[in-house]
Amino acid sequence: MKGVLIRLSQRVIWGVIMVFVTASFTFFLVRMMPGNPVDAKYNQLVMQGLTPVQAMNKVRVMYGFIPHEPLWQQYIHYLNQIAHMNLGQSISYEGVPVLHLILTAAPWTIILVLTGLVASFIVGVLAGVIAAIKRSSPVGSAISLSGSLLHGIPQFVMGLFLAYVFTTLWVLLPFGAPYNAELTPGLNGPFISSLIRHAILPVATYALSSYGGWLLTMKSSVITVLGDDFILAAEVRGLKMGTRVRYIAHNAILPLFTIFALSIGFMLGGSLFIENIFDYPGLGNLLLHAINSRDYPLMSGAFLLITVSVILSNIATDFLYSVVDPRIRR
Amino acid sequence: MSVENKVEDFSTPIGVHVRNLSVVYETNQGQIPAVNHVDLDIAAGEITGIIGESGSGKSTLAMALMNSVSKPGRITNGSVIVDGIGDMLKISNERQRRVRGKQIGFVFQAAQNSLNPLSRIGHQVLDLGRSHQVGDLRSLLRHARDLLIRLGMDADRVLMSYQHELSGGMRQRVGIMFALVLDARVVILDESTTALDMLSQASVLEIVRELHQERGLTIVLITHDMGVVADLADRIVVMYGGELAEEGPTEDLLRQPQHPYTRGLIRAIPRISGNPDEAIALNGSPPDLQTFAQSGCLFYDRCPDRIAECQAGRPIYKEISDGKKVACYKVDRRD
Ligand SMILES: Nc1ncnc2c1ncn2[C@@H]1O[C@H](COP(=O)(O)OP(=O)(O)OP(=O)(O)O)[C@@H](O)[C@H]1O
Ligand SMILES: [Mg+2]
Repeated sequence: MKGVLIRLSQRVIWGVIMVFVTASFTFFLVRMMPGNPVDAKYNQLVMQGLTPVQAMNKVRVMYGFIPHEPLWQQYIHYLNQIAHMNLGQSISYEGVPVLHLILTAAPWTIILVLTGLVASFIVGVLAGVIAAIKRSSPVGSAISLSGSLLHGIPQFVMGLFLAYVFTTLWVLLPFGAPYNAELTPGLNGPFISSLIRHAILPVATYALSSYGGWLLTMKSSVITVLGDDFILAAEVRGLKMGTRVRYIAHNAILPLFTIFALSIGFMLGGSLFIENIFDYPGLGNLLLHAINSRDYPLMSGAFLLITVSVILSNIATDFLYSVVDPRIRR
Repeated sequence: MSVENKVEDFSTPIGVHVRNLSVVYETNQGQIPAVNHVDLDIAAGEITGIIGESGSGKSTLAMALMNSVSKPGRITNGSVIVDGIGDMLKISNERQRRVRGKQIGFVFQAAQNSLNPLSRIGHQVLDLGRSHQVGDLRSLLRHARDLLIRLGMDADRVLMSYQHELSGGMRQRVGIMFALVLDARVVILDESTTALDMLSQASVLEIVRELHQERGLTIVLITHDMGVVADLADRIVVMYGGELAEEGPTEDLLRQPQHPYTRGLIRAIPRISGNPDEAIALNGSPPDLQTFAQSGCLFYDRCPDRIAECQAGRPIYKEISDGKKVACYKVDRRD
């Protein structure tokens, strides 16, 4: 248990460093953008008739730093703001705190990504086990092929394809928006079913685009474990089929935990396309909007949140890993 | 021996009878005949030592005894009759499974890696018990503990440990415990003491001998080590290139080896021949695919006693005197 705690604290320290690096990176990125958006905003406000002091205060609220201070002072200010959970104000949604925008958008993304991830993990892992055990039969080859094909398709192509097939070719599912706008949000049947129906396609896009990865990794992992001496030993000791499958699955699934964390980052990146295609008010769309409208405070905030969630999922999977693998505990 | 005879009585030793057994490995280079038309009787209640160079097919034969040859290997022919059970190659998969572990215990050549790395040893003993319908799991654990203590280990600690917490030698002894804990009637030890230092090797072999005497165990002892078989075995079987070259009672075989290969093996070991200076390594290399394709004796290229006849065809493995068998033209001639 002590080993777990040490590892965990190492991870947390590492995570804080990563957040710091990302925050610094976005800070300097914004400062170095062509046409310096901070100065531009300041100038724009002065042009609109604000006094330099008012303009400066406004810019400080938005970005968390003052344009005419030396760079290092601005930097310290900015970090100080972040440490107090203040991400500044949005430019395009004038006056709205970035934190508020992000926290409103995050649940949509998190629910879609997690559902897609968990669904593809379960299906992909099971299919991978079958593909490995039946690898010399047509069934096994067909499953592996499905994995390779789906693995190669980019997420936005997958999203567009699904949207075309299920909302245009066959009008089976609704398209765009997270729910039917005519319904009143709340815990009522029609609203919830509308939510679910709208979520099917984006979730399927996430799931299908990562299914192949799980399948192929699980397959090769199972094949490796099947060649291990202890599986042969288990057979020679006459262990029941069920027990042997349990040994195999347990050992084969371990490497997948490390990939789980990585794929959360991949999925969050994909949310840029997927939420755009299906018009979901999540983080991906928010970030896209921020980029299009050069809303730098919002952009830095969204980047920061994505970094933090990837780091958190890393820590979580690492912790999980050390629980399932006794060799990690010390 | 009657096949129908059910093994009820714990003290009745059981034997294994191999007839015309062949195993091949399918490889890119071609089929390797790892076990080729082998006839062998493993006598009930005796210790049978199997020796032979690396690659002579000892492990493959051992796995074939339980019908557990793994890919790319395949049993192409023959039968393995276990007393009271029947032909391992014909009985249902479920019955085979129950024989493995329960009637025939096996200790791997790679016994250090024979444990599930993610599960405690004690837990794996329970898995074994459940797979074989052991009613009283607590007494099974007690039995496991007794065996571990006998094998010179801190039993309680070992049962609570994961594989990675044990040394190579400890794992190997745990592997031996797994083969014995269900009171198997036949125990096959495939190079099971190689990872152990001389002292632990001697103590493990001593325990094997004791158990053999206490329980009337039938033991198959596979090794490179002539000294070990000379010490323990009642009979010695010599394998060469997937075939049996010679077998006989230990004393006889060591004192009067008939096959030139057996003589070579014995001469290569100073401990047996007495004088270290007289130890002569076997020259030449084990048979390869090209040798297998030839029609003559597999040992021809390396044989000091070869005669023209040896190239004509494979020598026939036959009884030359009571309990002694050999496959050699030269020996045939002498008679
Ligand atoms: N998995 C495999 N694939 C291909 N050929 C194999 C395989 N396992 C064994 N063989 C071949 O079968 C023959 C017999 O091998 P086996 O392992 O039974 O020999 P052995 O007598 O046990 O050797 P050792 O003393 O080294 O353990 C060898 O020629 C070997 O190359
Ligand atoms: Mg071997």
